[in-house]
Amino acid sequence: MIDFEEELKKYEPAIEVEQAEADIKARDLTDLTDLLFNMTAQNNGTK
Amino acid sequence: MQCFMCGADVGDNNVCYNCGADILLYKQIVYTSYVFYNQGLERAKVSDISGAIESLKSSLQYYKYNTRARNLLGLCYYQIGELVRALNEWVISKNLQEDNPDADRYLAEIESAPGYLPKINSTIKKYNQAIDYCKSGSRDLAIIQLKKVISQNANFVKAHQLLALLYIEESKFADARKLLNQAAKIDSNNTTTIRYIHEVKSRLKDQNTGRRKKKNDTVSFMDGNDTVVMSEKSFRSMLDNSGASLMNILLGLVVGLLICFFLIVPTVKDNAKDGNSKTILALNEQLADASSKNDALQQEIDGLKNDLSAYDDKQDVATSYDNLFAAQNYYSAGDSEAASQYIQLVTKDVLGEQGQQAYDTLYATLAPAIIQGYYDDGNNFYSEENYESAITNFKTVVDIDENYNNGAALFLLGDCYRLTDQKELALECFEKVVELYPSNKWGKQAKVYIAVDDTKLDAKEVGE
Repeated sequence: MIDFEEELKKYEPAIEVEQAEADIKARDLTDLTDLLFNMTAQNNGTK
Repeated sequence: MQCFMCGADVGDNNVCYNCGADILLYKQIVYTSYVFYNQGLERAKVSDISGAIESLKSSLQYYKYNTRARNLLGLCYYQIGELVRALNEWVISKNLQEDNPDADRYLAEIESAPGYLPKINSTIKKYNQAIDYCKSGSRDLAIIQLKKVISQNANFVKAHQLLALLYIEESKFADARKLLNQAAKIDSNNTTTIRYIHEVKSRLKDQNTGRRKKKNDTVSFMDGNDTVVMSEKSFRSMLDNSGASLMNILLGLVVGLLICFFLIVPTVKDNAKDGNSKTILALNEQLADASSKNDALQQEIDGLKNDLSAYDDKQDVATSYDNLFAAQNYYSAGDSEAASQYIQLVTKDVLGEQGQQAYDTLYATLAPAIIQGYYDDGNNFYSEENYESAITNFKTVVDIDENYNNGAALFLLGDCYRLTDQKELALECFEKVVELYPSNKWGKQAKVYIAVDDTKLDAKEVGE
């Protein structure tokens, strides 16, 4: 049995066009290669 | 291949000899990113957009420069009606890789469509407003807004889902089901959609069961052109009344049958009896008439017979005298054989006293010849094995003279009886032969036949 109120909480407002730029800027684009780069850089620095 | 750290060419080596970076690990990360991309692509091809988005996000978390994965992620967002998210992905993709023809094309198409972006933006705003209405309890307003959103942005899956949720809450399960089916066509493996569909099915099942129970409480039937709907209780009560009416009809039939049996049937029987009595009397009268007629006719027949016998006697008298005279004449002329034939045609009883004396005298004279004739005929028939005719002739001989020819006629008569299986008559003849002529050949042979009942003797051995 679905609880309407609980279910409703799962719905978040969609991103509007005006919010697109802010959303892009807010995105964290860090990936695993970045982490590997940082780790390798740190390793090289310590050496 | 270039080192991700220093940019030196590392070839197929797993370690950069310039900076010592782990190239193999980097390669494995990039390879995993492409594996997720392929998975996302496969899912997108079968309309599993949610699954595809998940795989593509994973792909980009491994390697953000996987432009194909990002472009496809934008397409997936576009497919489920989330245009701004799609634009964001394509813009980022374009920023990360300038030479990106796919992202350029997607962005150009969106920009080139006049009024498309404002329109979609309007639907997004309405959707957000609907969420606010829902949270504030204004479900009717939310439904109105969401209907507008879906009419303008038919692929907006989240709008479908929210409206379906509202319909479920309003117990409009059929409408909810229709919306969820539409959403499933866009994104087939969306867990939210699937969960709502199961909920709707479950609610519909319960609802149908309840309706059936409710339906069973009422009974409807056609009365002429009208459809009568009544409660089951009332219907049963009506049937009970019908049962009472049926009983009354049956009771009436039984009473009618009893009246018929005790009043009408006896009258009919009496009438039938009267009719039968009259018929019997009429038949008796007819029988009496017939009997009297029969008696009269019998008397008439008797009279006629008497007249006829008198006439025959008269005729026989004349014939007998004629035959007697003829026999006398032939005997006088010396023809004893002809005389014998004629005298046998004479009826002695019809003759007068003188006639009878004349008959006796002539017959005594002709008797031996007559008997001899019968005996000879009997022998001839016996020789021809015509035993029936032989019996007739021998019997005539024996009736006249049973001692004829020393018992030969009597023996041969018995033998004829024996040969025709008339054993008692045969035995009677043989015993008489033995009694009369115990020592001659007929008597001896008769003894043999008496002693041995099955003795066979050829007729020619004893016949003459």
